[in-house]
Amino acid sequence: MNPKNKAKIGVFICHCGKNIAGGLDIEALAESTKHIEGVAYVGDNKFSCSEDGQVSIQEAIRDNNLDRVIVAACDPSLHLMTFQRCGEKSGMETQFVDLIDIRKWTMHGSPHKDNPEEALAKSRKLIELAVKRMSLKKLIPMVEFPAEKSILVIGGGVAGLEAGLDLAEKGYDVHIVEKLPTIGGKMALLYKVFPTNDCAPCILAPKTAYANIHPRINLMTNSEVKSVEGYIGNFDIEVVQTPRYIDTEKCTGCGECVNACPCRVVDDIYAAGMGERKAIYFPFDQAIPKKPVIDAQNCLYFRKKVCRLCEKNCPADAIDFKQMSKKIDIKAGAIVVASGFDEYDPSPKSEYGYGRYSNVITQFQLARLLDIDGPTRGKLLRPSDGREPHSIAMIQCVGSRDKKTNDYCSNICCMYALKHAQMIREMILPDAEIYILYIDMRTTGKGFEEYYRKTREMGIHFIRGRPSEIMEKPDTRNLLMEVEDPDIGRLLEIDADLVVLSCATVPSEGSEQLSQFLKIERDEAGFFKELHPKLRPVETNVRGIYICGAAQGPKDIPDSIIQAKAAASFADGELRNHKIKLPAFMVQTRGINQGGS
Amino acid sequence: MEEVYVEEFMSPGCVGCPAVKQMLEVLATELGDKLIVEEVDITVDTTRAAQYGIMSVPALAINGILRFMGVPRKEELEKAIMEELEGEG
Repeated sequence: MNPKNKAKIGVFICHCGKNIAGGLDIEALAESTKHIEGVAYVGDNKFSCSEDGQVSIQEAIRDNNLDRVIVAACDPSLHLMTFQRCGEKSGMETQFVDLIDIRKWTMHGSPHKDNPEEALAKSRKLIELAVKRMSLKKLIPMVEFPAEKSILVIGGGVAGLEAGLDLAEKGYDVHIVEKLPTIGGKMALLYKVFPTNDCAPCILAPKTAYANIHPRINLMTNSEVKSVEGYIGNFDIEVVQTPRYIDTEKCTGCGECVNACPCRVVDDIYAAGMGERKAIYFPFDQAIPKKPVIDAQNCLYFRKKVCRLCEKNCPADAIDFKQMSKKIDIKAGAIVVASGFDEYDPSPKSEYGYGRYSNVITQFQLARLLDIDGPTRGKLLRPSDGREPHSIAMIQCVGSRDKKTNDYCSNICCMYALKHAQMIREMILPDAEIYILYIDMRTTGKGFEEYYRKTREMGIHFIRGRPSEIMEKPDTRNLLMEVEDPDIGRLLEIDADLVVLSCATVPSEGSEQLSQFLKIERDEAGFFKELHPKLRPVETNVRGIYICGAAQGPKDIPDSIIQAKAAASFADGELRNHKIKLPAFMVQTRGINQGGS
Repeated sequence: MEEVYVEEFMSPGCVGCPAVKQMLEVLATELGDKLIVEEVDITVDTTRAAQYGIMSVPALAINGILRFMGVPRKEELEKAIMEELEGEG
């Protein structure tokens, strides 16, 4: 465009079938648009995104020498690229093609739907603003620069490992940062997984073991991301590694130090509070790396400057009390966030007595008790007296589908309750009475309905109702509850030895801080937010940062794997040419004022 | 140029955004129709922010070019807008 001349703007109004045309007067909108200063052409299409629609836009650009295009249609996150490509085919600069959303006021079901007069008035205003903006818009200069051939993966659970391994196999150097002393995440602690009842560590181990030896994967356990700067192709990340107090080069993993340690503490992470560990410990048998770690908060040497028995008994001289936190700088072209989830703490749901009654536990705690490598070596013993329970009540949707806590369905709780019921019936306590107290059983995955039917056929009692309160019998520490069963129209009284709460899946601790470092958005529940809920499920509002697994929302293992692979594929798609094109100001920060004082 | 178009990128929870909004309101009373300000809520319109590569708010684009990230000093903002108005465009 000659700077002395005014821009020639074409405005194309989309009917979107009846989605827009059914909610406002297109003819009136087109008529008023013609009179806006700078508008050289106004067209309307039944479907602007269709082949015919795009051809008519291209013809109008050519026939009228248009140098700016505005399409008034739907959400730009859906179709902006479509129209930019369409304009590009007619020789137009993509930055001079814009898409504005007028459909939100007209489409049935839209939360912003308005009456036709209001929708018309708002659309007129939006088009006026867009015309003004486009007529004054200057071209943003773009610059191409080399991209780093490395990727940062945040989280060493199954999703992070899958994404990391995929990217390493594609030739990228992958840095996996894990907050805990071992990789494997929650899956490593589940023992069995639905709907196949496979041994979880057995199917996870090929991935953890390969990640451990992969020449292009750098595993950083006990590590956390502390800052992130830069942009796609060139992220600068600061990671802080807290000390293990073990020289991992020297350590052989023999375990003599653990045997020698006199200090026992409750293991809140790997035993979910159901068992103890030493102050120097291996997280679990298949931990990777298989090196112990010293818990400085409980170690007698760190607390009182006494003991050092681990050091005295280590045959490899690998204990190093002088280790300090280490700052590690990483450069990465893209970041995959797979920081996982936490189990909801049900203490605020005081009606269930968690924290008050010792025989009320969570499903994750039950998973640890059922694990052959868990704190009770696979024996199901109730916490109050170490006795096997004869009746077990599982309460569903604790902290899920509940307006007072979390509105959403946590997706996996029905299935893990079924899994645990099957395991107890088949492998541990065949004669125990098991009750599942539910609102709805939601078993929508592949093979899940069959799994539910099988569980019913095993004689597990399913009751459509949940107790309003649980009372503890002071003498036996049993738990009493009344449940209305609408299927038989009776009030049932259950006397349970053990109550298991199927708790919600919530964003992992630290998600909020991570979102601030990465500048990526979170949804209302606090999970990381995808760019589009249907069509762009792994991208975020920051180009080059992708999300996968339960960090994005509650999901099971197969869905986490699928999303991890998608995130890896996206990262590869952006970086595979080793070049990135970005607005010049992002690369050379000159010209951008970073704010006042 | 006769006019200047400012895209004010903001979000509901943003601490610095009200200050930027107020600065623009003061400038708008001085400049009248010459200054067009569009408030873009990045939680609603994520695409526009992504086009500019905006990773934090407040941010200001003037005539299609991202000029400020963070809260600018009033004089700097005024200077940038006046340059656009006085320049050939």
